[in-house]
Amino acid sequence: MMDLTWYLLGVLTGISALMLRYLAARMQLTLVTWGGLLAGIGALLFCIAWAVGAYLEGVPRAAAMGLLMFVLGGIVILTVTARLIAKQNRDQQGGAS
Amino acid sequence: MSQEFDDNHTPNNDTTESVSEPVEHVDKGKRTFLKLGVAGAGVAAATAGGAFIAHKLEGTPMDDIVPPDGIAKDFKPMDQRNLILTFAGSEALNKKHPERKELFNKVLKKENPDHPEFDFRKDYKAMRTRPIRDEPGYTQLDKALQMSTMSTWKYVSHNEGNGQPGDGILNWDQSSVAKQKYKFDSKNEATLAIKSAARIYGAQACGIARFDRRFVYEPMYDMAKEETLSWDKDVPFEPKSVIVMLWEMDYHCIATAPAWTADATVAEAYTRQATGAAQMAQFLKGLGHHAIGAGNDMANSVAYGVLAGLGEGARNGHLIAPEVGCRVRISKVFTDFDFFDYAQPRDFGVKSFCEHCKRCATSCPSKAISFDDKPSLYPTYSDNKEDTWNNLSGLYKFHSDAKKCFMFWTQNGSGCAACIAACPYNKPDFWHHRFIDAQNVIAPGWVHSIMREMDIVFGYGNVADPEKVKKFWKRGSKV
Repeated sequence: MMDLTWYLLGVLTGISALMLRYLAARMQLTLVTWGGLLAGIGALLFCIAWAVGAYLEGVPRAAAMGLLMFVLGGIVILTVTARLIAKQNRDQQGGAS
Repeated sequence: MSQEFDDNHTPNNDTTESVSEPVEHVDKGKRTFLKLGVAGAGVAAATAGGAFIAHKLEGTPMDDIVPPDGIAKDFKPMDQRNLILTFAGSEALNKKHPERKELFNKVLKKENPDHPEFDFRKDYKAMRTRPIRDEPGYTQLDKALQMSTMSTWKYVSHNEGNGQPGDGILNWDQSSVAKQKYKFDSKNEATLAIKSAARIYGAQACGIARFDRRFVYEPMYDMAKEETLSWDKDVPFEPKSVIVMLWEMDYHCIATAPAWTADATVAEAYTRQATGAAQMAQFLKGLGHHAIGAGNDMANSVAYGVLAGLGEGARNGHLIAPEVGCRVRISKVFTDFDFFDYAQPRDFGVKSFCEHCKRCATSCPSKAISFDDKPSLYPTYSDNKEDTWNNLSGLYKFHSDAKKCFMFWTQNGSGCAACIAACPYNKPDFWHHRFIDAQNVIAPGWVHSIMREMDIVFGYGNVADPEKVKKFWKRGSKV
């Protein structure tokens, strides 16, 4: 089961990389926003691995706590980063018009 | 005007075009170079950090098992007659020292005036005769499991658990030593051969230490004959090396502690510990060297585990080994073979973690484990030296009151292991625990305190939990 999880996480990492490439081609990304995107996606992927591992070892509470803490952390980071990207691109467009 | 120029990239005149294009090209190149530099530095930092953590996880070599001033001038090897299990297992020692019972009962009465009278010998004998009851962990099912593993341990060498030297298959007979000595080409080859043999016997880990007289029992004590044994007179050869092996206990079974269920994996590991030590001793004899296998007997197992670089001494008095924590039993094989690459004691960051954690102390049903912030040379639970006879005094460590721990065993009807189950180092082999281990070795003390709290919040290490017993019985053969 854990082996399947690692495989799926590999697929998800590949999809995430393609999404980042797509985003980078269309939006202006700074070092901070790159860091935010990587940390946010990393937190979500970490959380999936943690939750499956904790469930398999027979401690579902640890899986639930992991989901709560790391998914929440990932979503907050990604939301803040998305707002930052939107603001920066809006500013650039505004400055350009 | 300039805005138009920027947006459209349309030069106003030829001069501007000829100047601006190369400048933009150079700027882009600089930016790319800067980005690559930052990425390269990031990769280099991550690699260096990873290498540093890997190095710390392997343990930092130390000169001795304690700091330079960690052994008192009056330190002496432990007299085995002062080991709580040996004392309780001996009729003669109990008769010789009635004051020990008297003083301990005084301490108990002072803490709780209604405390019933405790007798080391009588209560120990009655320990496993406690009646079964309708409570998870104490039913006929749990008792049957407990006694099933006890039966094989009893068959191979039951009394080594009490410290009985030369018991059962761990006898000191040297008649099967091969006449011809096998020659190894190098120390490394010899060391790897020993460790490969240990793996075949089922050991979780193996390390080789130099024989160190400080941590043997001197004198040893034969409970069957009620007589002392000396390393110089009674051991049939002069030991030079000690092969130390660790035997893992089942995580889900230990999690049921202090229920009788947990006792099953303890006794099962004790059986492997004894058979493995006997097999290793026989292997060495087959190579033409003298050897004696030992379990809890002959020497302090934790000290030898540390000397063999297998782990560190913890607050609860156990050895904490990487990946399994204190969920291990330890066997030792004494031999006169000395052509080895000897291990060094290693600092795995356990001491620092133990100073901040104290989870074992709060989980201990008998309150036998120290709550001190730092280790000490002498026990701190009592100022009266007559009350600390059971401790290895003069060594920088956390000193537990083994008398209280032992008394709980006799009331509980089995060994306890709650301090093993509660320890945050006691985790099954899953990637996320190895990840936490990796960050623990580099984290400062205040992070260790947080990790202890997180361990509780995430649901690990609860003891005396009937749900853990139910879970154990529903798990089947799943690892």
